[in-house]
Amino acid sequence: MLKIFAATTKELLLLRRDRTGLLVLFLMPAILVVLITLVQENVMELTGQKKTQVLFLDLDQGDLGKSLQKQLATTTLDLVLWDEGQKDIADIQAAVTGGGYQVGVVIPKGASARFTEETARLFQQGNGKGKPREMTATSVQLFVDPGIMAGLRSGVTAQLQMALTTIGLEAKLAQLGGVLAQTMARAGAEPEQSPLAGEKLPALFRQPLLDLQEHQGDSGAIGASQYKPVQQNVPAWALFGMFFTAIPIAGSILQERNSGIWIRLTALPVSPLVLFTGKAVAYMGVCLCQFLLIALIGAFLFPSLGLPPFTVSMHPMAILLTVVLSSLAACGYGIFLGLACNSYEQASTLGSTSVVAAAAIGGVMVPVYAMPQVMQRLSVISPLNWGLTAFQDLLLRGYSLSAILDDLGRLLLFFAVTVLLSWKLAGIRK
Amino acid sequence: MGQTAFMKPGNPYLPEPGPDCVVSARSLVKHYKNNDRPALNDFTLDVQQGEFFGLLGPNGAGKTTAISILTGLFPADSGSVRIRGMSFQEKEHEIKRILGLVPQDIGLYDTLTARENLNFFGKLCGISGRKLGERIQQGLEFARLTEHARHPVATFSTGMKRRLNLAVGLLNEPQLLVLDEPCVGIDAQSRHLIHEQLKEINRQGTTILYTTHYIEEAQELCSRIGIIDNGRLVEQGSPVALLQQSGRGNLEELFLHLTGKELRDT
Repeated sequence: MLKIFAATTKELLLLRRDRTGLLVLFLMPAILVVLITLVQENVMELTGQKKTQVLFLDLDQGDLGKSLQKQLATTTLDLVLWDEGQKDIADIQAAVTGGGYQVGVVIPKGASARFTEETARLFQQGNGKGKPREMTATSVQLFVDPGIMAGLRSGVTAQLQMALTTIGLEAKLAQLGGVLAQTMARAGAEPEQSPLAGEKLPALFRQPLLDLQEHQGDSGAIGASQYKPVQQNVPAWALFGMFFTAIPIAGSILQERNSGIWIRLTALPVSPLVLFTGKAVAYMGVCLCQFLLIALIGAFLFPSLGLPPFTVSMHPMAILLTVVLSSLAACGYGIFLGLACNSYEQASTLGSTSVVAAAAIGGVMVPVYAMPQVMQRLSVISPLNWGLTAFQDLLLRGYSLSAILDDLGRLLLFFAVTVLLSWKLAGIRK
Repeated sequence: MGQTAFMKPGNPYLPEPGPDCVVSARSLVKHYKNNDRPALNDFTLDVQQGEFFGLLGPNGAGKTTAISILTGLFPADSGSVRIRGMSFQEKEHEIKRILGLVPQDIGLYDTLTARENLNFFGKLCGISGRKLGERIQQGLEFARLTEHARHPVATFSTGMKRRLNLAVGLLNEPQLLVLDEPCVGIDAQSRHLIHEQLKEINRQGTTILYTTHYIEEAQELCSRIGIIDNGRLVEQGSPVALLQQSGRGNLEELFLHLTGKELRDT
């Protein structure tokens, strides 16, 4: 124990003296988590998880535009109304093509009159004989930024199409109600005797008979919160920062190996495992501080940047255990890099590349479900994925410790394997 | 040359090391990857209790490889090493407890102070409490660095670093002190101090195995000298005996006679 304590104290002293290195270790993930979360808030907006602004120009100023506005009020589209006296189609086209807005909707002049006329003519045809007459659809013009994401484009189009279909259906039903009332009157029946409720028909048809009930992924989880970039990004980028400590750990080992220190240590009555443990304990402290800093940024700085705060409402001990085991996995990897590489240049290049790759396939940068099938299968080999899945299970899905034991086991196993391999390499490196 | 006859490579009549034998190496062979020439080739050596043995050789002769194997840093491809009768395979930990190594490259943490370095390495030697405090103080006095105890090693001159490097090697009061070129790149004053201290340590009973390519240094310090070349011990004996037996005027002449005048750039 004395030797482990000595090794840990020495590492902490070395870290304290390398203030620039320490600053980078804390600043890098802190800056990343703020930037990426801010950017992802915007991506969520673009992918429809938040309201999307849609330019709306009503050149007709009739009932059709009003109905459409009313229908769209309940969707995720945020209408920006342009004054028809000052703007025209060319302006809306320019605004969308220029990237200022992604979507623009124009109700052409005379659209309401054409729509009313066509609806009125719907049932004025040859007493059931011959083919139904061809109807002329009234067009509402849609302008879409060519650079718009496909998901957003179909989302916006679907909502507009749904609104137009509803308006059309309501108009048809109103017309049908009128025709029915006239038919009943011609037959001498009282309107109350009609099996269909006349002018109340559209309201009747709006009553839902089928419903789509949305649930969170797991019904057994208590306290599950809606998917938010903050709850995803804070642990994700904290993990990224933790695994980046692998590079300074490798650097410290290579500094020892490339000086007389390693020879001296090898000649002393002390196992390399003791020295590795000292490093792991010291850098685990660094990783814990990193996570704490990023969590504090999430909790207190994010709200002032217009982002929702990071919250840890449940299972704090399970979260702490996840942080500890993720840190150990990162330290193990750093120790392995320090023994496997021959120079700091090698270790920093291999270390940064492998950590970025592990972060990318592990779901830190893009959620795993959004990846191609091959990458989704690959993601299970990334230690960052194990840590991130554990954090998501705790913070987003509301699971308890028992549900994340498999991921924690993988992180512990990774630490054990990397340290044992390093021990083996230390023997070879003698 | 009588003293060295039984040590000649290939001699099948090597005696068993006696009870006073601290270092006993038999027929060591070591090859490095990507090098056809062996670094050590049938290297055999005995160092007795209380000896100050100097291993002299040109660059690439195998000095550092020899002491690396003798201190258990890595094993030989073949041959055997015993330190006080113990082998590294069986009693590595026990051997390391009685061994002090001063590596050629400075084995100190630059950003730690002299005291912090001594404290760390002392604890790794298993020393603790009051004894550790005493050993650190003795180490600082030995290295004449008491006034610089709280200064980072990075601020030290090469001579100061070399002295501290030596002091760290003495922390566990070793029975066998192995020094690999401990005076490289330092001024005459520091070299003189180190020489005097090594003589004193040796007088107190510590066996010393010392590698150098400074012939005068070996002549001044060592009770016995071995000349290594191409991985073999080509000659050994006391400086006086070697000169008498070889008929050469000085050790440098003998050294060049044995190892040749060709440059060793490997």
